[in-house]
Amino acid sequence: MNYPLDRPGTKKAWCPGCGNFGILKLIEEVLIELALDPKNTVIISGIGQAAKTPYYIDTNMFSGLHGRALPVATAIKASNPALNVIAEGGDGDMYGEGGNHFIHTMRRNPNIVHIVHNNMVYGLTKGQASPTSQKGFESKVQVKGVSSEPLNPISLALALKASFVSRVNIGNQAHAKEVLKEAFLHKGYALVDIFQPCVVFNKVNTYQWFKANTYELESDYDSSDLPAAMTKALENDPIPIGIFYRKAYVTFEEHLRGDEKKALFEHTHDLKMIQKFFNNY
Amino acid sequence: MKKTDIPFQATIDQPPVTFPTFKKKKYTHAKSISILIGGAAGTGIKTLETLLSDALRRSGYFVFSTIEYMSRVRGGSNCTLLRISDAPIQAPCWHVDLFVALDEDAIEHVKERLTAQTIVLADESVTDEDIDITPLPMLTTAKELGNVRYANAYVPGVLFGLFGLSAEMLSQGIETLFDGEHLAGNESAMREGFIYAQSLKNLSLPTLPEPTKGLTDTMHLMDGSTASGFGFLAGGCNMITSYPMSPSTAVLNFMASMSQHFTLLVEQSEDEIASLNMVLGGWYSGARAMTSTSGGGFALMSEAMSLSGVSETPAVIYLAQRPGPATGMPTRTEQGDLNLAIHSGHGDFGHIVLAPGDLQECIDYGYLAFEVADRYQMPVVYLSDQYLADTMSMIESVDFEDYEQRRYIQPTEKSYDRYTLNPTAISPRGVPSLGEGLVVSSSHEHDERGQGTESYHVREEMVEKRQKKSSLSVAEAFKPEVVQYGISKKGSIAVIGWGSTKGAIAEVLRELDDDRLFQVHFAWVHPLNPEHLEILKQTKANIIIENNVTGQFADILKSHDVEINHRILQSNGFPFFVDLLKEMLLDTLKEIK
Repeated sequence: MNYPLDRPGTKKAWCPGCGNFGILKLIEEVLIELALDPKNTVIISGIGQAAKTPYYIDTNMFSGLHGRALPVATAIKASNPALNVIAEGGDGDMYGEGGNHFIHTMRRNPNIVHIVHNNMVYGLTKGQASPTSQKGFESKVQVKGVSSEPLNPISLALALKASFVSRVNIGNQAHAKEVLKEAFLHKGYALVDIFQPCVVFNKVNTYQWFKANTYELESDYDSSDLPAAMTKALENDPIPIGIFYRKAYVTFEEHLRGDEKKALFEHTHDLKMIQKFFNNY
Repeated sequence: MKKTDIPFQATIDQPPVTFPTFKKKKYTHAKSISILIGGAAGTGIKTLETLLSDALRRSGYFVFSTIEYMSRVRGGSNCTLLRISDAPIQAPCWHVDLFVALDEDAIEHVKERLTAQTIVLADESVTDEDIDITPLPMLTTAKELGNVRYANAYVPGVLFGLFGLSAEMLSQGIETLFDGEHLAGNESAMREGFIYAQSLKNLSLPTLPEPTKGLTDTMHLMDGSTASGFGFLAGGCNMITSYPMSPSTAVLNFMASMSQHFTLLVEQSEDEIASLNMVLGGWYSGARAMTSTSGGGFALMSEAMSLSGVSETPAVIYLAQRPGPATGMPTRTEQGDLNLAIHSGHGDFGHIVLAPGDLQECIDYGYLAFEVADRYQMPVVYLSDQYLADTMSMIESVDFEDYEQRRYIQPTEKSYDRYTLNPTAISPRGVPSLGEGLVVSSSHEHDERGQGTESYHVREEMVEKRQKKSSLSVAEAFKPEVVQYGISKKGSIAVIGWGSTKGAIAEVLRELDDDRLFQVHFAWVHPLNPEHLEILKQTKANIIIENNVTGQFADILKSHDVEINHRILQSNGFPFFVDLLKEMLLDTLKEIK
């Protein structure tokens, strides 16, 4: 399957029917509809099936290490605030290996979009539990079923007052696109947790399961109410999708740089000024 | 697309940079006296050190001072060593001429460093059965003046009084350090000490060397962390992302203070893994980024070192060593992380390790770290250690405009590929939004475009490309510094060192004045250029001096077929002391026929 912003000459290494196809299409369409110039857009990913996504979109890319996309993305945005910066990866990548960066990136609040493909299972390593796997989920490793409490990225993000907190279901494309667009338009860190099925390794959380177990937040839902958002985030039968919370506040790069927004590659230090400070010693 | 100029744009076709050469005065020998001052942590011994060294400098003396401190915020026993001289000194001594004890623990802590000639001054409350102490009413006087910490001004007052120096120099220092009631309190305490010293005229004091006129105009007093920081600024550093860790934190603090004056982004990251990944993000989008850490933190960066290698994203890592393994001794020194620095990161990829040995090299190699990271698109580890980082000494004036600025980034065409294969093996480095192309960087093995590959042909080409790049850095490596002593100008025994041992080895060799000996100092420690090692293959004997238990650099030299006949090693948490090192070297020389 090909989409409008695909990188020419690439073959997608995903299983037929994978939820990642829908996410790829979604991102490409949003980039086009929001007229975001690929030359000014960077997608940073870690490792995993989800993290392959930027190899297929014709924008700038930094494909880094498992779990480490967020610090890279944060620094790219700070170095050149004019760039559109997207960090992308799966639930194991972003919530497991990169859990510490997830926490602290939300505290920092760089103006980036953070897309997490959440299929509640490890795909690339063939079927182990992920941090979001439901209790009792059995695998070749979790032979007695998962005993750990699943990580709830939405309530975690809300506890840290993340600037924009959302969840969508890729089976509900129209709604997902609407939310992702809002994430791009939001000034500040924006989490988009995307429910997607792994058609090979997760026989429980399927397209049908996600459809049956999610509902869109009501049209009169107030996304500025943090305690209400937390209550919604803790609902799990069924699970709400949509924008739980949004509040713009000063971003990481604004804090560091103020009104000065030039790319760092345009900067050099005044050597006379270095001299002046040196001479004070 | 708006046109953006890249300042100082350079390409790989240009020959490597050279360090600026500054006209330096030649010093043959230094006369010096040593003063050791001991007290508990948190009582202001650092203030005392600053006050005293600054006033001594303004009185025309070369000052070297090093603090030995314990890993705690309060209590314990810390001491600061001052060497006052008529020429630059860059090494500590073990035995001292004068010792000032602020409390009883201090005496116990440094007993081994006292000789029969050492004059011991201590607070009148301090007693010791074995040692002849000249009592001072320092704490009583300080308390009477309102604060026990005024003792830190009283002691410099006594010392200036004893040596007949001008108290005005201390007053000037007190004025810059304190204000309000503490200004008056410290000033009074200093004067009281100065006056009290007049009653101690019968002490057989060591002779102070001759002061030098106009010293403050030509010489600057700073520690290695500060000099390194100036080097990084000269290298164009405009981003630092670090997790604090002793003894590296002073560089982070310095850069943070400079961020008030320069476009320089500073972030304290959640861990060292984030630190180096941020550095890579910075360079990828055109910043000149660095991180600062010590051994334990650097161990966590190993994975991102490898990422820097394969993605050919430059990086600069300031690694201030302390004794390991694991937590080891956080406030003490060692050269034990050389192997870690050289072998960090999985897979084969080239990287550079620099280890400056004095303040001038801290600046030069700080600048060079950014230059070569950019030039070869690889990670550069700048190895310092607690001793070099925390020790204050003097450096002659430096002209920062003489450090050639280069930026090896290129605007991209629409057809741009990040990893093009070309004869130099260095692909032009684009950054996002600069030009018409896309910058596709990858941690996977990749093709010229940056797309992941499973092709063994492409794999072979890319491995070869990275190896070739490594070879280029070998060919362009900076030479070790060779210094002959004595009159023959052609020694037969090499005394080899790297990094912070430079000053101690230099002073010992100057003092021994033995025609057979010459110094070979490595500041570019990896990768080594075999041509630079030829000099070590024509010697009668090679002696290496290293502050680690195995002789890590000796083993590297051996792997380059350099014979190492003797290893003088130490790993007790101290730097090398010149007087002790001299004995060790003399013992070793006895074994060479």
